[in-house]
Amino acid sequence: MEQSVTWTCTGCALLCEDIQVIINNNKIEKVENACLKGKARLFGCKHPARSTINQVDADISEAISQAARILTDSEHPLLYGWSNSTSEAQHAGIELAQSLGAVIDSTSSFCQGITINEIFKNNLPACTLEDVREKADVIMYWGADPMSSHPRHLSKYSYFPRGELRQRGYEEDRKAICIDVRQSRTAKICKDKFYMIPPQGDAEFIRGLMDGLSGRVPKLDYDIKRILELAATLKKAEFGVIFVGLGLIYSIKSQMQLLLELINKLNEFSNFYLIPMTGHFNMRGFNHNLFEKTGFVHRVKFTDEGAISGTEYSVIEQLKNGADAAVIVGSDPLTSLPASVSRRLKNIPVILIDPCTNLTSKVADITIPCSVSGIEVSGTAIRLDGQTQEISSLIESNGLSDEVIIRRIMEELD
Amino acid sequence: MDIGKFIKAPEYDIIIVTYRDVFQASICEADRFGPECREMSAVIILDNTEMKRMGISNESNVLLKSKWGNVVVKVRASTKSEQKGIGFMVNSPWSNALVSDETLNGIPEYKNIHVKITTTKEVLTSLEDLLAGL
Repeated sequence: MEQSVTWTCTGCALLCEDIQVIINNNKIEKVENACLKGKARLFGCKHPARSTINQVDADISEAISQAARILTDSEHPLLYGWSNSTSEAQHAGIELAQSLGAVIDSTSSFCQGITINEIFKNNLPACTLEDVREKADVIMYWGADPMSSHPRHLSKYSYFPRGELRQRGYEEDRKAICIDVRQSRTAKICKDKFYMIPPQGDAEFIRGLMDGLSGRVPKLDYDIKRILELAATLKKAEFGVIFVGLGLIYSIKSQMQLLLELINKLNEFSNFYLIPMTGHFNMRGFNHNLFEKTGFVHRVKFTDEGAISGTEYSVIEQLKNGADAAVIVGSDPLTSLPASVSRRLKNIPVILIDPCTNLTSKVADITIPCSVSGIEVSGTAIRLDGQTQEISSLIESNGLSDEVIIRRIMEELD
Repeated sequence: MDIGKFIKAPEYDIIIVTYRDVFQASICEADRFGPECREMSAVIILDNTEMKRMGISNESNVLLKSKWGNVVVKVRASTKSEQKGIGFMVNSPWSNALVSDETLNGIPEYKNIHVKITTTKEVLTSLEDLLAGL
């Protein structure tokens, strides 16, 4: 029977809630409004995961039992991934980490975790995407290319729409500025408000911009007139927002105070807010859920004295030295981490819980297939601006959710 | 006698900046092991003038070497002007083969990968090669 459903997309952390999906006999037949990323998520992978032990097909209950045995025997387990899971599965993962005295970390460890941490500590002012749509007149994409990472960002929220205070839209009411190392798809839209900077040049550009905002001549090797023009535009903003991308974060990762100083300087003249461009659909959810439980957004170790956090508990440092077993949920570290780090997964027992066969499946000791969150599993997720959204499932699945798998592993721990 | 085969192709220092591409990401989400994902991932984008300076032609293969690994990828000339000494690679196992395990604040240098680039007649590095090299 054909059925038309309005669906919240889990293709990225924008969580677009206006996707129309036609389902017939439990199969997705047609999709409207979704971008390429959304459609890719909806139609799934060509190689579904299989239940295996030591690379040989196995009963899923056996695989779960074997996973529990590995974790029972492990002294320093690492639980990693989580950004493609619902908040319900993330809560289960945090409980598992606590019961094991394990380290838990997510992909936010090398993404926007450090920015979200500053927002949670109230060091950076944040706003919602609806605020941006209704009020923003100056929009900066800094080290971010949402036309590639969040394809409906500009059309749905940040630049093209009419807003309550921006009825003349992008043609007259909004100024889009891009700061990046190359002319990205987003930079093309920003036209003459694209500022090309050298790689790792963000800190110097921030300092130059702060000079310009303070009425001083910027001291940097750049077109000074253009910096002063930018400073003047920012000063006049009624409601400004900086969409912080990985280009900026990777460049100033050890100097985050510069971003705080810039926002404080801007807010001497204007109202500026910041939104981190988290990628996976519920990356921010993990940060919220772990923070609620421990006071830390990521890189947490549970000890008898409570939760502790630090760089040494990041997935990278744990794989380099520390972890003696790893549970990976909804992630593919062999694709996304440096090979110089991910190769260490070959030396420890790896339990992979994922809907798809991926590169990490090739080195995993146990693979456990799970249903796809947000398509076969309903739940809750947190959008990139911190707004909670309900995610409904679209089709029925005979598989187990990642949450159920985690809880079954927990039940079988000795 | 072909003297050319005894002459080593010159190496140039460049910095690789990785980025995300919606087309590559969508293809690879569907089939990480397929030829299309490889064709869209095992690529470095260079500035046209820079390619001339380094004697690299469009669509040719180049060897990228870092302290952490080597890969052979295809060169594509950028359709716009890029900064000197920089190559762009989409985030993938091919770019990750070159990234250091040393981090600052727990974050790898995904956008600051120092490599040497040289022309090569070797074939593109396959996913199987990357897995075998782990």
